[in-house]
Amino acid sequence: MNQKLIVSTAPHVRTSRSTKQIMLDVLIALIPATVMGIVLFGWEAALIIGLAVVSAALTEFVYYVIQHKIWKNPKEVVLSFFKQFDFTSLITGLLLALVIPASAEHWYMPVLGSIFAIAVVKMLFGGTGKNIINPALGGRIFLFISFTAMTVYPATTDLLGRFGSVSVSELNTGATALQSFLQGGETLSAIDLLIGSTVAGCIGETCKIALIVGGIYLCIRGVIKWYLPLIYILTTGLFAVVLEGFDFNAFLPSILGGGLILGAIFMATDYTTTPKSKLGNIIYFFLLGLLTAGLRKATGIEVVSFCIVLMNFLVFLIDALIKCRPFGYKKEKKQKEAK
Amino acid sequence: MKAVKGKFFSRGVHLQGRKSLSETQAVETLEGVTEVAIALSQHIGKPALPVVEVGQAVKRGQLIAKADGFISANVHASIAGIVKAVEQRPDGKGGKSTYVVIERAETDETDFMPPLENPTAEEIVERVAAAGIVGMGGAGFPTNVKLMPRSKVDTLVLNGAECEPYLTCDHRLMVEQTEKIVRGAKYVATALGIEKIVIGIEVNKPDAIALFEQTDLDVCALKKQYPMGSEKHLIYCATGRKVPLGKLPADAGVIVQNVGTVLAVCEAVEEGKPLIERVVTVSGTGIEQPRNLLCPVGAPLSALAEQCGGVKEDAVKYVAGGPMTGNALVGLTSYVSKTSSGYLFLSAKETNTYEPTPCINCGKCADVCPMSLMPMQTEFYTNAGDYQKADVYGGVLSCIECGACTYICPARRPLAQAIKTAKAELRKSK
Repeated sequence: MNQKLIVSTAPHVRTSRSTKQIMLDVLIALIPATVMGIVLFGWEAALIIGLAVVSAALTEFVYYVIQHKIWKNPKEVVLSFFKQFDFTSLITGLLLALVIPASAEHWYMPVLGSIFAIAVVKMLFGGTGKNIINPALGGRIFLFISFTAMTVYPATTDLLGRFGSVSVSELNTGATALQSFLQGGETLSAIDLLIGSTVAGCIGETCKIALIVGGIYLCIRGVIKWYLPLIYILTTGLFAVVLEGFDFNAFLPSILGGGLILGAIFMATDYTTTPKSKLGNIIYFFLLGLLTAGLRKATGIEVVSFCIVLMNFLVFLIDALIKCRPFGYKKEKKQKEAK
Repeated sequence: MKAVKGKFFSRGVHLQGRKSLSETQAVETLEGVTEVAIALSQHIGKPALPVVEVGQAVKRGQLIAKADGFISANVHASIAGIVKAVEQRPDGKGGKSTYVVIERAETDETDFMPPLENPTAEEIVERVAAAGIVGMGGAGFPTNVKLMPRSKVDTLVLNGAECEPYLTCDHRLMVEQTEKIVRGAKYVATALGIEKIVIGIEVNKPDAIALFEQTDLDVCALKKQYPMGSEKHLIYCATGRKVPLGKLPADAGVIVQNVGTVLAVCEAVEEGKPLIERVVTVSGTGIEQPRNLLCPVGAPLSALAEQCGGVKEDAVKYVAGGPMTGNALVGLTSYVSKTSSGYLFLSAKETNTYEPTPCINCGKCADVCPMSLMPMQTEFYTNAGDYQKADVYGGVLSCIECGACTYICPARRPLAQAIKTAKAELRKSK
């Protein structure tokens, strides 16, 4: 026998599904939202998306090669980078672009956001799986507090009336549909909000249908659990109804306006920044819903990204509170021990 | 396809069965064994004490080592011949154990116990102990000990789930030896003084289910799900009872026996034959002709491989047992024991090995864990050296080591290894 035998502990078979494939699924799920963003906001949106994605990947590359001392062994380090590359930075870049308004006045805004998201939020904490807050949201908040352009959103054209390529300068800019609703202004119809017609907002968040299609794909592929985004969205909607004094007219605008659907499906479900256990996740998404509706009411602006980041910090607390309950575990046993 | 009966647990994984390689192969007898090496420790508990001398002639079925203490089992000669040595040999898993080596002689004399007719409960338990019968599903717990439960039981569950991929030995037994299994189950029920017998079979074995439906046993068609064959989960699915944490199945009023074990009980009672042979599945794409072989205990793996047409060049991993819980072998130096359910020769395509990547906290390991544990927490705290926390948050001590978490992990983390480490460390510190 010349051949080497592999000796390792059980199990000897593994699923073929890897981290890379999961991340690829997330990218695929983001395609409808990306395409709709480009259709609705024109070439400027495409430029922002391209810049954000490329700079995110480049940032990871540069960080990795410096971290692994490229000057010592250039070829090997570059090869090992591509071997461990798992598309997470592409997702971060794409998600970041989708939460930037298409009217971003400087080309370097998405670039700066991506660099901050990857280098500071993700890589400084140890890379994939180690970040404390969602990198894309970290990048968005960094841009939000740095540029006033992040607070002015262009509105999409009337999809039902006119359909065609547009340029951002032609579009109306102003407060988002959610903001005008929160501040007591006029609200758009639910249909308009759902398909993203005449809605002011970020590139990816306006067309809810595209986001929901992506979300359904993720659920079917087993990447996210269907009930978690639903808990978030419903809790937000219902708590908003309660806060408005049981005015059920507030339900649809609060869940369809703003970035709630994008946040619930793609941002809040980020594996790394959610609790580990099933119960923990349910608590996390429920609290997230309460926080979002409450802060929206208190501030009058869109706060989904801040709420998710705030809750990200609570993940460790939730994890520390939930202990393991194996199959066959009985509660009365615990009470006996307490006595 | 039979409808799924009974309950099912919501976790577990769905594995590719890969049983078609050998499931239609009728059981063949292994030929051409000239020497057997019978291990003294083929069961849980103390190794048996040898009662034969080097150079002594032994008959087939003669006692060669007797049980040492309560939890131990007798060992019998599986071929007639001369004891060549009682020595330490490598067991193929990287360690060593003591073997009684018997060289085949010309004569083929047998020395079985007298058959029992209409045996009483005590007689059956005594015979099971004398025949050295142990749980043949893999654990190797002495069956006679299991037949004397501390608490009152009312149900016997036969384990015909065979949820591990590749393995088909129990399937073939259920199809070919249906009657004997039923009679054996009745002897076990008599020994326990109970009436109710349920046999749990996964729905991927419709022929076995159909055969058992013609008998007077209750058949429970189980969902195809790994690890359905785990004692606790089988009990839950077949009877709806949950075994309390840290307790034995008998505490839930149930005794589980593997179908191979009750067949051995039947043969021991009716023919007086001790446990000296068993069916072993030889499978995997790394072997020329996958087969189910009836092997004498102690038969060398090389003889099995030879009868199956030899090992292919592209076999990169030899496994004793199933692919999810079995042990990798360091070569062809392994001997069939009472608990060997199969030998697998896996090609590189089947036994994919990967480099671990960072945990992305996806929670899939917790989703599939049949015991509802949190393997990612265990691994995290084990790597940090905090085994107490690994138990509090991960629930290490309840782990049944099914390997589902490691199978599913998209980041290829060595979760099962971490759990085993933590378990060993926690036991040491107690």
